[in-house]
Amino acid sequence: MTSAYSIVARKEIVDHFRDRRSLTSAAAHALMGPAIVMLVSFSPKGQGQAMPDIMLGMMSVFALVSAFVGAMNIAIDVMSGERERRSLVPLLMTPVPPRDVVIGKWMAVSLFGLGALTFNVAGLVIVLAWRAPATLVAHAALLASWAILGLAPLVLLGASLEIFVAGLSRTMKEAGTSLTLVLFAPMIVGMFLVFFPVPDGWWSVVPMVGQQVVLDAGLRGAPAVSLHVVVLGLVTAVCAWGPLMAAARVLGRDDVAAWPTV
Amino acid sequence: MIEVEGLYKRYGAVPAVDGVSFVAPDGKVTGLVGANGAGKTTTLGMICGVVKPDAGTIRIDGAASATSIDTRRRVGVLHDHKGLYSRLTARENIRYFGQLHGLSGAALEDRVQAVVSLLALGSIADRPAAGFSQGERMKVALARALVHEPGNLLLDEPTNGLDIPTVRTLRTLLADLRARGTCIVFSSHVLEEVSALCDTVVMLARGRVVAAGRPGEICRGAGSASLDDAFMRLSNGEGGSE
Repeated sequence: MTSAYSIVARKEIVDHFRDRRSLTSAAAHALMGPAIVMLVSFSPKGQGQAMPDIMLGMMSVFALVSAFVGAMNIAIDVMSGERERRSLVPLLMTPVPPRDVVIGKWMAVSLFGLGALTFNVAGLVIVLAWRAPATLVAHAALLASWAILGLAPLVLLGASLEIFVAGLSRTMKEAGTSLTLVLFAPMIVGMFLVFFPVPDGWWSVVPMVGQQVVLDAGLRGAPAVSLHVVVLGLVTAVCAWGPLMAAARVLGRDDVAAWPTV
Repeated sequence: MIEVEGLYKRYGAVPAVDGVSFVAPDGKVTGLVGANGAGKTTTLGMICGVVKPDAGTIRIDGAASATSIDTRRRVGVLHDHKGLYSRLTARENIRYFGQLHGLSGAALEDRVQAVVSLLALGSIADRPAAGFSQGERMKVALARALVHEPGNLLLDEPTNGLDIPTVRTLRTLLADLRARGTCIVFSSHVLEEVSALCDTVVMLARGRVVAAGRPGEICRGAGSASLDDAFMRLSNGEGGSE
């Protein structure tokens, strides 16, 4: 028998594949980073030997943000959108526990997030291949492990945080405002670490910080795939569980069903 | 059958439901009547398990705890806000809820087709719900509530915003479900509709039951010629606190 969360996930995937506006927005956000990196590579300040380093630095920030932004609109729609349209109440009245509802939605949001991240990384690889092919060849293994073991788990964490924050919001507008604030986290962490790289330490397995540390360490000659990278990926993915369970508790609250109009 | 006993629910200092008890038997339509804010919707919310009561018991087909998964399988709910997924077709909306209620394969498709036929949804079954009229939305939401063949059906203000032909269709359908033995609980503040549809009426005012019985009995008890007058007299012309 099909599990309840996979039923919810499949419905959300089918539903949001038909939401062309959200998909276009996600694709535009994902490709914004590669487009800016390409423009910088053509600018007078982007010329010279430092150009590949500048490109990699910018790329890491945009990829970090993309891991969070990619499916943000969809996360808003599946949680606060359902609440606003009152379709959440009939859903919660089915024999499916809130936990399974949340996990199904998270699976769908993560899938769209991974799609957006793939767009972003593919765009950056194309720009690097065009503007700095030697850098791409030299760091191909590092970039692949960074994307798969670092950024992909970050998408899972980003999706769960977005589900939680959007679940707390009564309207899509409220969720959009709250999530814009949440988005500052990867932007600030990314920008800070580009300019002030931190040495290795326990924080190198902290989600977001760790992803940047992996890239920096790799560029300084550390092995592309190491225990550190694997542990970081696992820690990041495991951290997604907390916000998901918190979101399930939110769905169990009386006020979320918004049934009473007191 | 739905049995509600001593149900209480407060929101802060406001008592939304204050000791409500009633029994809704199988094969009957029980009307929950009251002004806006009288506690009808909160009571229905507690029966279907999305609002937790502060006190009291709810038994559905003899089983306690409306929040349990098994109990929810016995109930179909038509909420005031229809809450359809606008990018999905009517059939996909219905199928999704059938799956959530544990149906799959040929049994699921048979049930989906059965409710599509029952509610005469054939012409719109494969159209996205985005363009549906109020009546069409209500029918799809009702089909969704019936897809798992629940023995108990809760309807919250089902005729809100519907045109006369759709209301008549709904009445016919409810009469049919009643004849099949379904327990129907129907909340409304339109007393004419309640008189036409309900076997038993539970009148609520300020979260309390002020009268219960057959519409004629309530009228006689209140010394009124109509349910409207009886309601005004029994509730002292007051609504609720919502």
